[in-house]
Amino acid sequence: MSESEETTSVPILEGRQLRKTYRLGRVKVPVLKGASVSINQGEWVAILGASGSGKSTLLHLLGGLDRPDSDGGSVLYQGERVALEKGSPTNTYRNRSIGFVFQFYHLLPELDVMQNAMLATLVPKSRSSRLLMGAALLVGGAAGATLGVLGAGSWGLLPVEERTPVRAGILGATCAILGAAVMIAFVQLIQSFLARRFTRTSEEARITEKALSDFGLDHRVRHRPRELSGGERQRVAIARALGSEPAILLADEPTGNLDVHTGKEILELLKKRHDAGLTIVMVTHDSSVAAYADRVVHLEDGSVVEHTQPDLSRSADTIHA
Amino acid sequence: MYAALLANRYLTSRIIPLIAVAAVALCVALVVIVVSVMSGFLDMLRTSGRTMMGDVVVRYPISGIPYYDELIKTIEALPEAEVATPAIDTFGLLEMPYGTQEGNLVETVQVWGIEPVSFSKVSDFENILWWQTPSEAEAATLSPDDPRLAEGRDRKSDAMKMRDAMSDQPGIVLGMHISMFNERQSDGTYGFRNGGDQWWMPGKSVELTLVPIKRGKLSVEPEAREFVVVNEFQSGVFQIDKNRALISLADAQQMLRMSSGELYDTSGAIDPETGGPKKIGNSPARATQVLVRTADGYTPQQLRQAVEGAYESFWKTSRADPSRLVQPPDPYAMTIVTWEQQLADIIGPVQKERELMRILFSIVYIVCAGLVLSIFWAIVYEKTRDIGILRAIGASRPGILGIFLIYGLVIGLLGSILGAVLGWLVVSNINSIHDAMGEPAPTWLIITIFSAAGLLLLISIHAAIRGSILRWLLGVIGCLLLAAVGIGLFLHQGFLLWDPSVYYFASVPNETDWFTALLTMGGAVLFSVIGAAIPAARAADTDPVTALRYQ
Repeated sequence: MSESEETTSVPILEGRQLRKTYRLGRVKVPVLKGASVSINQGEWVAILGASGSGKSTLLHLLGGLDRPDSDGGSVLYQGERVALEKGSPTNTYRNRSIGFVFQFYHLLPELDVMQNAMLATLVPKSRSSRLLMGAALLVGGAAGATLGVLGAGSWGLLPVEERTPVRAGILGATCAILGAAVMIAFVQLIQSFLARRFTRTSEEARITEKALSDFGLDHRVRHRPRELSGGERQRVAIARALGSEPAILLADEPTGNLDVHTGKEILELLKKRHDAGLTIVMVTHDSSVAAYADRVVHLEDGSVVEHTQPDLSRSADTIHA
Repeated sequence: MYAALLANRYLTSRIIPLIAVAAVALCVALVVIVVSVMSGFLDMLRTSGRTMMGDVVVRYPISGIPYYDELIKTIEALPEAEVATPAIDTFGLLEMPYGTQEGNLVETVQVWGIEPVSFSKVSDFENILWWQTPSEAEAATLSPDDPRLAEGRDRKSDAMKMRDAMSDQPGIVLGMHISMFNERQSDGTYGFRNGGDQWWMPGKSVELTLVPIKRGKLSVEPEAREFVVVNEFQSGVFQIDKNRALISLADAQQMLRMSSGELYDTSGAIDPETGGPKKIGNSPARATQVLVRTADGYTPQQLRQAVEGAYESFWKTSRADPSRLVQPPDPYAMTIVTWEQQLADIIGPVQKERELMRILFSIVYIVCAGLVLSIFWAIVYEKTRDIGILRAIGASRPGILGIFLIYGLVIGLLGSILGAVLGWLVVSNINSIHDAMGEPAPTWLIITIFSAAGLLLLISIHAAIRGSILRWLLGVIGCLLLAAVGIGLFLHQGFLLWDPSVYYFASVPNETDWFTALLTMGGAVLFSVIGAAIPAARAADTDPVTALRYQ
């Protein structure tokens, strides 16, 4: 266990009696059968299990990406129940409290490294931008309708004999659509420009750039994901997951797609962050990867079978990709 | 913000949205061009038709409207009416000054008796007279043997008096296409068929035969008179210019026995003073129609309603006078119509064609929606994993929906703006394009196209050697297309789609119908958003875990 052990008295994340059943056609496949897990602040927990044991599903439930069965237990974050029922907004929880790292990196190919890394910081700003879009819709629509009706009546768009209220109404409605569309497109253009500027000149951009530099990616910030190696992509994915400074990092087989050497680099990177106080929950099927954790939760056939200390005899040099 | 950034990146980093924008633009341009030309044609037709009849017509054919002067005064007192004029509308036979050995050619014509001065106030008669005394500058441009130079007459003045000043004969103004020697040129002017400028009609005498109405049991013989052609007119409506001849109202009234006269007792009563039939009163002059022009600020429909009321009042007043033996027709028997209703047989089909075009081309909106829908369906499938990633980092469903809706909206907006600009450019330059099509293609263009085809052939051969099937295929297709265009241009010797000598109007209408253009643009935007909405909603509904597992 790391030096953060002293601070682990309060569970930061808890899964209680989690059950999850998938439906494959008419067949119900229970994946989790009442799994419970508790993660303390600053702890690195590895969830170890064979393929199909339900470890990724457990991670998804803990991260609010998926919902348990209707009577399938609950997830608690800092002692508070996370609403995972259908229709419940878990976006803020995922954006603010959780950072996800996936086996296949999952970077957005259209964005460069910097933009990918800052994606989580751009999401909260979109809530206010939606209000701006709504305002653009109303203002553009009203302006368009006014211009349309004026155009129908006074500016010769309709011949005198065709200047009926119905035609003026049709023209007003059409111009309202066009006005709203123009305003929304304009706001969209401005927002896109601001977003790009945000990823270049903001304080958050400076912090992200430093983080990328710490990850050895300072020469790659304007590159696209396709121009990076697997290890570099995973480092960008970790930078993205940490971008919104979450309390917990959930990693699903983070080294599963990497060679041994690169996998070790990634684990060392996570260890460095963990040493700085980051709580990590990592899913793996590889006990040598699990050896990096403070604690190992063994999952078998959808149930937690035991909690163990990591097998330190499995040297990090022998991890399997 | 991420939605704007991503929508922008999706728009600018891929070729599919460009194809969608181009497709929407072409759809919009197609509608704008077709409907603009149709609307322009219709407007020209309406303007031309209106030039010869004012805005509202009060008609009672054959026996005509007695006391029409009083009716005109009643109508002119209406605030909706500016001015009114009487006219007689009948049919006649016109013997032309040319023909065969068996006799001169005779045309069937629609004859209008008019009062030229007041008729000019109601219609555009004065301005559609074709032959004007050439100014000095114009005279310098005419060939020395042009008949207009040899003439000493003021053709316009003669037409406005309906009298040939030189011979002091009654005048007649013919529609431009009544004479078979007037031949419309490709520039919209008139020349003489087979160089027959000796048959320039002004100054020639023609014989007009009219058949007066049959009154009671008295049959009346047809009335034939010589007229001198004082001018010709071009209204813009072929049917009018081919059939209509104008004479003075007084001449028409005399020939049709519609002038004022005395009424005699037909029961056999004898006037002891004269020993002839006993005079019992006067018969007023008649006109078969009264043409009315709308005052500013009123529509022809408003005027028509007012004129209906005015006629009823005129009829009641006349009925109240017991001394009048002749009374105007009952209001129910009158035809009071707007110019548009009167010309319904000419305007109606074109108007219906335009509306049909609008409806048919509205299918373009559905094409737009289908196009955007299919493109977006493909994009959403392709971006399923991205959607999962975005959901994983906290993006909301409305946020995901917003990305694709904005994406569709921008495609629709860009496409509709580009389409409207393209449509406007084509419509504005349609006559230049048309003229260029009428000429053989320039040699430099043919050489350039064949050179480009040759270049593409070389590129495709190079690609085949390098083993790139796609480049080879694109090269071959491009080469074949350019070669086909080049051969087409080489064989093209020029043809006029819109031959003014055939289609009557001198040029293709080139005014953009902005009402339709705006409607089409709005429709394209709306349907693009609708097309994007279904895949966008699907994207928003995508379960993040399923999306992340999507390969």
